[in-house]
Amino acid sequence: MMLNTERTAGVVIFVALAGTVLAGAETRQQLHFKVGRKASVSINNQYGPISVKAGANKEVVVTTVLHSDKVEIDQSHRGNRVDIVSHLFSGADQTSGQVDYEVTVPADANVTLTSMTGPLHAEKLQGDVVMEGNTANVDVRDVNDAHVHVKTLNGPVTLTDIRDGHVEITSLSGDVFLISVNGPLVQVNSSSGKISYSGDFGDGGEYVLTSHSGDIDAIAPSYASIDVTARSVQGQVENDFPLEPKHTAFPIKAGSAFAGTVGKAASSVKLFSFSGKIHLKKR
Amino acid sequence: MNCEEFELALPDVDDDPTIEQQSHLNSCSACAELVADLDAISQQAKLLGSSDEPSPRVWNFIEIALRQEGLIREQRSEPFLVPRRPPRRRLEWLIPVAAMLLLMLGIVQYKRTSGPVASRTSNAEMASTSQIADAAYIADDQQLLEVVSRRTPAMLASYKANLQDVNSYIRDAEESVKMDPNDEQARRDLMNAYEQRSMVYEMALDRSLQ
Repeated sequence: MMLNTERTAGVVIFVALAGTVLAGAETRQQLHFKVGRKASVSINNQYGPISVKAGANKEVVVTTVLHSDKVEIDQSHRGNRVDIVSHLFSGADQTSGQVDYEVTVPADANVTLTSMTGPLHAEKLQGDVVMEGNTANVDVRDVNDAHVHVKTLNGPVTLTDIRDGHVEITSLSGDVFLISVNGPLVQVNSSSGKISYSGDFGDGGEYVLTSHSGDIDAIAPSYASIDVTARSVQGQVENDFPLEPKHTAFPIKAGSAFAGTVGKAASSVKLFSFSGKIHLKKR
Repeated sequence: MNCEEFELALPDVDDDPTIEQQSHLNSCSACAELVADLDAISQQAKLLGSSDEPSPRVWNFIEIALRQEGLIREQRSEPFLVPRRPPRRRLEWLIPVAAMLLLMLGIVQYKRTSGPVASRTSNAEMASTSQIADAAYIADDQQLLEVVSRRTPAMLASYKANLQDVNSYIRDAEESVKMDPNDEQARRDLMNAYEQRSMVYEMALDRSLQ
């Protein structure tokens, strides 16, 4: 037992020392760019997180931590456009090629973030947000009156407090969570990931949540004003709302489809799945 | 002749290959399969009549893919002091092109099933198109996965699983459209599925090329 404890202690010390050496190899950089209104900021980081927040007007500040000398930062600033790319050298991998980004941009900047591993995070912005990642965890919050477009393969996507948004999400197997998201268009297209919506569906938008095999859960308050159509070809559907019947282009089969209106039916809500379960719940 | 030499000569291999090329085709199943796949894609492409001309967006996709592969680039005005070595032709450029052709095939199939004309399309014709598309998908996916395994091996399992998912989505959506060509949701599902497949290819190649 004592031997094991000593060995464990040895391993801990070794890991700590190795960590210190690795930390020593890290390089911190800060880049400043002067920009005007509605600047375009694009960051492409193969491995590592990117976090973007609203900061000072007319300035983009990019703080990076490079995890080794196998990666460098390429930058380009032309007019109102800032492009940053993590440039990997030969032999760089997910560990040595990692760069951590913390970025502040003017609130009205349009931001495009790309990372294979992520995570990707953006908050308190009023410009368009485009995010693309393979396994990257995507988190967008507090965005007003803007386009939010997300594409992921496996990474989960969480959107919180998006107001008056034009939201388009395509995800293959990553789960998608929409919390207090509303706007003229909210569209999610998923293959096997789950889709979860929690909000009031706004007052005049079009909400289309589609999955192949993933389940779809939508939770709305009793005062929601919606015109809803839900259908699962091979899965089950469930509805907690008392619906006013309406005409549909397809036959309503109990248990696999429902359609109707609630309140003034201000927003159109379409929930479609091939084999996933659909549940419209009352909050 | 080895596979690499055959690949370099591939654009010149037509219906009448040289003895050397034919000999290699007879002995190499991988190259023979490749030529068969290209023939299948070429045949399908011929079926795309002028009335089924894809949107400019599709051509843009193809142009972007070719540009990313470096097969087409902006004209340079400055003279070259040193003659540039011609880039080595690799087979990877075929993947985005094939993917785009398949996307076009999907769009054409979508168009054919989206109006009253759909009812005139026989089930046998649809099944045949689907089978050709399935075979082409498998070959394309295999090539894409080879590229991913070479460039970003850590992502191989993920791409494999996602391709299976999306192919299953396409098959289910195609079945639904076949069962009821007027089902708007089924048609939308089919487009969604094709878009997802296109996205997987776009991401795989984009990441791999960096």
